[in-house]
Amino acid sequence: MFAKIQELLEKESSCERTDLPDRVKMKVQDFDLWYDDIQALKSVDMDVEENKVTAIIGPSGCGKSTLIRSLNRMNDTIPSVRTEGKVWLDGYNIYDDVTDCVDIRRKVGMVFQKPNPFPFSIENNVFYGCEVNGMDVDKDKTVERCLKQAAIWDEVKDRLDENALSLSGGQQQRLCIARALATEPEVILMDEPCSALDPIATAKIEDLIDELKKDYTVVIVTHNMQQAARVSDYTAYMYLGELIEFGKTTQIFENPKKKSTEKYITGRFG
Amino acid sequence: MSLRKIIALWIFIVSAGVAIYGFWNLYNQSEIGYWTMAGSLLLISVVCYASGIHHHIISKRQKGLPMLVYGTFVLSAAALSIYIPNPLDLRPWEIYVRIPNSFFFSLFMLLSGLFGAYLSFRPFYDYKKEGAQVGAYYVFYLTLLFTLFPLFLIIFNIVTRGMGGITWEFLTQDIVSMGEEGGVFPAILGTLAMISLTAIIVLPLGVGTAIYLAEYAKKGLAVRVIRTAVNILQGTPSIVHGLFGYAFFVLILFDGKKCLLAGALTLAILTLPIVTRSAEEALNSIPGELRDASLALGATKWQTIRKMVLPPSLPGILTGTVLGLGRAAGETAPIMFTAVYFSGAGTPSSLLKPVQALPYHLLSLYRLVGYRDVEQQAWATALILLMIVLGINFIAIILREKYRQRF
Repeated sequence: MFAKIQELLEKESSCERTDLPDRVKMKVQDFDLWYDDIQALKSVDMDVEENKVTAIIGPSGCGKSTLIRSLNRMNDTIPSVRTEGKVWLDGYNIYDDVTDCVDIRRKVGMVFQKPNPFPFSIENNVFYGCEVNGMDVDKDKTVERCLKQAAIWDEVKDRLDENALSLSGGQQQRLCIARALATEPEVILMDEPCSALDPIATAKIEDLIDELKKDYTVVIVTHNMQQAARVSDYTAYMYLGELIEFGKTTQIFENPKKKSTEKYITGRFG
Repeated sequence: MSLRKIIALWIFIVSAGVAIYGFWNLYNQSEIGYWTMAGSLLLISVVCYASGIHHHIISKRQKGLPMLVYGTFVLSAAALSIYIPNPLDLRPWEIYVRIPNSFFFSLFMLLSGLFGAYLSFRPFYDYKKEGAQVGAYYVFYLTLLFTLFPLFLIIFNIVTRGMGGITWEFLTQDIVSMGEEGGVFPAILGTLAMISLTAIIVLPLGVGTAIYLAEYAKKGLAVRVIRTAVNILQGTPSIVHGLFGYAFFVLILFDGKKCLLAGALTLAILTLPIVTRSAEEALNSIPGELRDASLALGATKWQTIRKMVLPPSLPGILTGTVLGLGRAAGETAPIMFTAVYFSGAGTPSSLLKPVQALPYHLLSLYRLVGYRDVEQQAWATALILLMIVLGINFIAIILREKYRQRF
């Protein structure tokens, strides 16, 4: 045990490095993932460009959620998961043994499919990330900044001390986005953020994504192809754990190179 | 009234009569003969046939079939039971049982009468799902009443009998002349001290175990073994806990002297499974999405548990703990060898001194009833013990509601 503690103390930050091409924020390189014996991701390669929206589309069970959860190592919470390959963030391999998951998750925020605000007040929800990371920031200012960025400030500014569960579904989801912004992340991952919302709330979130890409890099998983076409700059199409095609959204939707992509885009399956 | 209903009523009266007669014979252990039984069963089968033929042939209703089947069944039971030897003697097979066949005859009458009466209701109400729904409602409502009835009976009985013994002297004095005079003041304090100490010991242990099981342990063999061990601990009789407490805490740790701490430790072991299980259930009821959300914001696992998982599960943990303490407050067996004396211990002064406690006080007074005039005091002691246990549960409800409002 002491040896282990010693090892932890002496751990150097000699994380594996590489030079990424200009404007590439994250790079997934030859990445495989297994749930026990089932391979969910098969040597995925993908670049995530800075200040752009990258959409991941594909039929159910194709591994798109697994892929996006790999980008901030959320899959580590599932005991049966095993990975191989690298994911680079600003030139650092986040799957290096010395990398701290907690650090990664602060830099790469995440918004989930179902709105999942914490069962306490709105402002504490937003500030939670700063609190657990011990960030030395002014609470009121941070809360205001994040809620404004998430376009929900006007709706909740008079009731910041109310329980977040009293908000509507769409408001809750924007609150979750605001919460993710509080830790000053560089990348925001959204795992089907609109699938539990009505069309009006969805439109608000989509507008918000458009705003967010000015300051952040956004990766979004969606099963709604129109949504991908509307909000994203780049699109990745996945099928059965493989990344079939990746390119500019206009190219994927107007001139797909692969037969499978074309079939899916035109709605012939999926 | 239609013929259908007249026949049904007739079946009901005959069957109910036979059932009552069978029950009466069972109750009195009277020796009824074969022909009495066969005659009664014949009566039932005749009316069943009448009803079955009426329904099945005349009015073409399928409901007649069960009646015909049942009539045949009763008739054959009556006929075949003549072959039951009198008495039924199992001693040749090394089983020391000897049953007179009048017992079987009475039993047949009771059962066939009851079932016949039940069947007779069918044509009365055309059993549709609405009827079944109403029936189900009343059945469950009745079970509720039967469940609540003993509770009210206990409370009512103890309050009415105990109230007379509650005096200022009884509440504030120590025991005098084997309980005939004086009161239970040291016993009240002793019980309260005991369960407070138990709570202090059991809460960290139980909640810690629950956190390990629910949050850290990998789901596998080890966790299953631990959980089974906890369950076995819960099923252990309290007298065994008492003996263990005496053998281990008193004899080995405390040099053969009963003391408050030994009793509290024993009660802690007794309540540990209750606290652990309820805490684990409370922790498991927190949705995984909240844990994911917290982890995704860069919280560590411990931060997530402390800020996200523990606070909302606190009401559940508290409820379980208090239920355990309520049980501990009323237990006699674990403390009688480890911590308490009937008299002479006085108010609790040290962890290493023995105390008096209400459950043991009650047991001792009960033993003295008949030799000494202590019955009134015993009822009053029971009332105070009941009030303490109810009070603990009431505190639990208040705490739970308070925390529920906060989150």
